[in-house]
Amino acid sequence: MSVYLDNAATSFPKPKAVIEAARRVLEEVGASPGRGAHRHAREATAIVSDCRQKTAAILGVKDPDRVVFTKNATESINLVLKGWLRPGDRVLYSAMEHNSVARPLKKLASQGVNIEMIPCSPAGAPDLGVLTQMLRSEARLVVMVHVSNINGALMPVAEASEVCARAGVPLFLDAAQSAGVQPIEAEELGIGMLACSGHKALLGPAGVGILYVRPGLDVLPLMEGGTGSRSEELEQPEFCPDRYESGTPNLPGLAGLCAGIGYILETGMNRIRNHEIGMAHYLENELWQIPGVRMLEPERRGSGAVSFVVEGMNPADTGSILDQAFDIAVRTGLHCAPLAHQTLGTFPEGTVRVSPGFLTTIENVEYLLNGLRWIVTRRG
Amino acid sequence: MPLEQVVSAMVGIYDRSGKGLDQHQWVIRERPVTLYLNGREMVTLLCAGHHLDELAAGFFYAEGFLRSPEDILGIDIDDGAGAVNLSARGDASITEGLWQKRTITSGCAKGSLFYFSLDALLSKPVKSDIRIAPGRILDRVEDLNRLSETYRRTHGVHNTALADPDRVVLFRDDIGRHNAVDMIVGHVFLHGIPLRDKMLITTGRLTSEMLIKAAKVGIPVLVSRNTATSLAVELAVSLGVTLIGHVRAGKFTVYNGQERIDVGLSG
Repeated sequence: MSVYLDNAATSFPKPKAVIEAARRVLEEVGASPGRGAHRHAREATAIVSDCRQKTAAILGVKDPDRVVFTKNATESINLVLKGWLRPGDRVLYSAMEHNSVARPLKKLASQGVNIEMIPCSPAGAPDLGVLTQMLRSEARLVVMVHVSNINGALMPVAEASEVCARAGVPLFLDAAQSAGVQPIEAEELGIGMLACSGHKALLGPAGVGILYVRPGLDVLPLMEGGTGSRSEELEQPEFCPDRYESGTPNLPGLAGLCAGIGYILETGMNRIRNHEIGMAHYLENELWQIPGVRMLEPERRGSGAVSFVVEGMNPADTGSILDQAFDIAVRTGLHCAPLAHQTLGTFPEGTVRVSPGFLTTIENVEYLLNGLRWIVTRRG
Repeated sequence: MPLEQVVSAMVGIYDRSGKGLDQHQWVIRERPVTLYLNGREMVTLLCAGHHLDELAAGFFYAEGFLRSPEDILGIDIDDGAGAVNLSARGDASITEGLWQKRTITSGCAKGSLFYFSLDALLSKPVKSDIRIAPGRILDRVEDLNRLSETYRRTHGVHNTALADPDRVVLFRDDIGRHNAVDMIVGHVFLHGIPLRDKMLITTGRLTSEMLIKAAKVGIPVLVSRNTATSLAVELAVSLGVTLIGHVRAGKFTVYNGQERIDVGLSG
């Protein structure tokens, strides 16, 4: 049996409709969307438009033009941080952030941006009382991950958004792990900016990132170039999404993403979430009974990601044995989130992360548990 | 070591003047021995060819194929063919799948110290309250040197001893230092000798392989008149093994675990 339990890195397998949509673009459509008036170009444009509408719908954004496509969530995050913050600005970020936030912030700090961390509990929950106090001084931005990529901890976004709104500071939400499993009403929640990827719970192929910027927030673009619009002007268009979408987009990826979101809407996000979180709960209950396994349980669970360590064993070794002896794919180490592992007390070796997806079965989880039981028993 | 493990060879002795001298010299016998597990060929060792039951049991135990002496259903030795078949109960297919597989890590964290998956699985921190006076360590290394008649005859073997602070309890030698250690491991495994109060003394270099072998079976102190490698030191720190090298001329070097050296004890 071969078992894939690394859906927090990227979802696999993809729904057949996703593969078919990407194939169709490559084999039948071709063309560059928004560039040209021929039939192929028109169809390509329609695919992007359809994808934008579906993405807006799933993120709770009324105007699809506020949805921007990038190459991945990291680019979306860089775009916001580098297009919004200026030397002398103060930015607050949670102690559970991924390197996609931490590294650009580190760079910006060297350029004069003041970065301050919002403390989190040992289970990963941000201290909103402290955030409230921190916001008594002027700040330009608050950055918060929606769901931890390590242990699936769900952050109190509605409450955080309220705290930020009271202080008049936009909240930038990293929804890489939540988009597709957690309902997100970006506009209703008053989110300032939102970034996520298309290839995780949104089920699309890799190569598409998503960005939402609330109207009125003047985030500068990362780059300028051809947009297929107002080509007579040498200045970058000011309107969304063209302001941020220079160059030919990833059409097979967008077609696949569109099909992925279609699959979610058809299946029902609640059903998908219940399945993944149900798998995580089952896994947690069983892991508790394996001696020598220590789990990092969140206070509130927002995804299926479960993190643990086998006491006395480097997580990399546990993962390597699961791979070599049982053909089970899990992610080990720091998951590109050293800050979060410091918060959870698992730095520098990290954890073993198991992340079931919608297509993960109970047999898959049992197979993993049997592998872990073998490791623990054999270790003695 | 039985005398038949040593053979006589006619050799020529030369010096700078070119004057040759023919004479008989003892040389250690080297032969291939193939180890089988339940009839499956697993490995061929080049060794001196003695204590083959211990060699096979020690090898398969240290490699993770055996968990207790009861797992062994029988050891059949065909001395003439240089073959040992160890019959074991249970399904060893998962262990076999991992055997000699290199650990694979992503570089996304502080990585593993282990190069092989089975080493990572079976090596655990060694817990022991043993405390040894420096003089006892020097004495036991002297015992090791004294015990090897074969070395004196041939200068062709590595010596290994299992010792407590007061005496050497087991001695083995072989052309390969790993083989000698495997024989010791096999003997203690077969006879249920406790190891938490013991040290393993070898004439070989203190490498990661030697350290891992000691840690896998739970020996808290590893001693050699030779020196240690960097990975052996790192592993000793990680696994709580006292690592002592360069035992010469009344001195020794402690690379890790000085808390087990008791300077207050007489000895």
